[in-house]
Amino acid sequence: MEYLKYAGILLGLIIIQKTAVSFIDVTEFKITPDLVIIGLVYIGVKRGKITGSIAGFASGLILDIFSFSFIGLMALAKTIAGFTSGFFNNEQKTERYLNSYIFVLLVSICSIINNTIYYTFYFQGTNLLFLDILIRYVLPTTVYTALFSVIPVIFARRRRFAR
Amino acid sequence: MKILLSYLGNLKEYIIFSALIVISLLLIFQNDNVQIRFVRVIAVNVIGTIQDGFSIIPNIFELERENKSLRETNIDLSKELSMLKEAKLENLRLNQMLEFKQRTNYRVATGKIIGKTLIQTRNNITINIGENDSVKIGMPVITDRGLVGKIVATSGNYSIAQILLNKDLKVSAKDQRSRVDGIIAWDGEGKIRMKNVSKSADVKVGDILMTSEYSNSFPAGIPIGYVTTDNTLDNLFKNIEVECFVNFETVEEVFVLKFLSEDERRELEKKFNEKSK
Repeated sequence: MEYLKYAGILLGLIIIQKTAVSFIDVTEFKITPDLVIIGLVYIGVKRGKITGSIAGFASGLILDIFSFSFIGLMALAKTIAGFTSGFFNNEQKTERYLNSYIFVLLVSICSIINNTIYYTFYFQGTNLLFLDILIRYVLPTTVYTALFSVIPVIFARRRRFAR
Repeated sequence: MKILLSYLGNLKEYIIFSALIVISLLLIFQNDNVQIRFVRVIAVNVIGTIQDGFSIIPNIFELERENKSLRETNIDLSKELSMLKEAKLENLRLNQMLEFKQRTNYRVATGKIIGKTLIQTRNNITINIGENDSVKIGMPVITDRGLVGKIVATSGNYSIAQILLNKDLKVSAKDQRSRVDGIIAWDGEGKIRMKNVSKSADVKVGDILMTSEYSNSFPAGIPIGYVTTDNTLDNLFKNIEVECFVNFETVEEVFVLKFLSEDERRELEKKFNEKSK
């Protein structure tokens, strides 16, 4: 049941990512937040490395299929990001990680890994240097995603206070 | 076994992670876009560099195999070279013979020497043509360089010829320059001499000797050799040593001239000789 909940979260985020997120792009390079990675970090921290990496692979593959190009690249990046998030799975600290701004930090770490892998591969064969890729795509996407990861933290904190 | 399973259980998450990474990479390399082509180029370069680095380490087994293979190739090439050299020499010889065949006025049959004796007092050669090629006893044997001998025995496909290095063969000869006549014969000890030449005859070292029209076995004008020594044998005759144009050690192909002296002449000479006796 719990896994269905995670699958539902990821599917919902994927649908939003592929439909609505393009309306909030920034900079001339059309940077958008990666909502899927936020959900993925949540699952990874909650369930560990195996669930994190499988969730990452599955969500990445679905995104690849939706994008109709470069099948496998997003699956690779998200698998590694999901596996990384699993490192922060700790029975005593999981709730603390998810209900505090540490979650933003974790999302940032996983997002920067995901984006570095994705964009480095994606821009192979072009004239862009790694530094250009980093400044134009990797870091802005990471920051934008980290900003969005604040939202669930706020909700979680409010819920906690409400109790 | 338990320990192994327990160890693998601890590595479970890494095994799953690795499997997913491998699947992702396989999916990535199924694409055929610019990025993947570029990555493939990089991969090929990296692998090439690594292989290049490893290639400096000598592989003894590989070297041994390569060495053996090279030796075999060497033997094959040597054989081939030898065959080519042989073919070249044969080509030269046959070319010369062909030129001679076109030059000569007589019909000729070309034969290959398949047997030879040179160390006896009566030396012969065996040729691979015979009566089936219209070769008959008494026909002259020559090469493009000069006289070899004459046919003394025939069978369907083979014939035997006496050569100049045979005590039984005597050839009526003439000095090309001074027209002095004599008889060419082998002394059986290594020298071919021109006999019956009087002390006063005009014969000099270097003069070319050829068959004369007095011969009833050979047509006139076939070169035999040249004079190497000319001195007085006794009060009456000269001692003339002759070097043959034909090298009997190396000759391989010959012509049989389809020439026989006229029957009428032979009959007359035969009768006359009988009467004289």
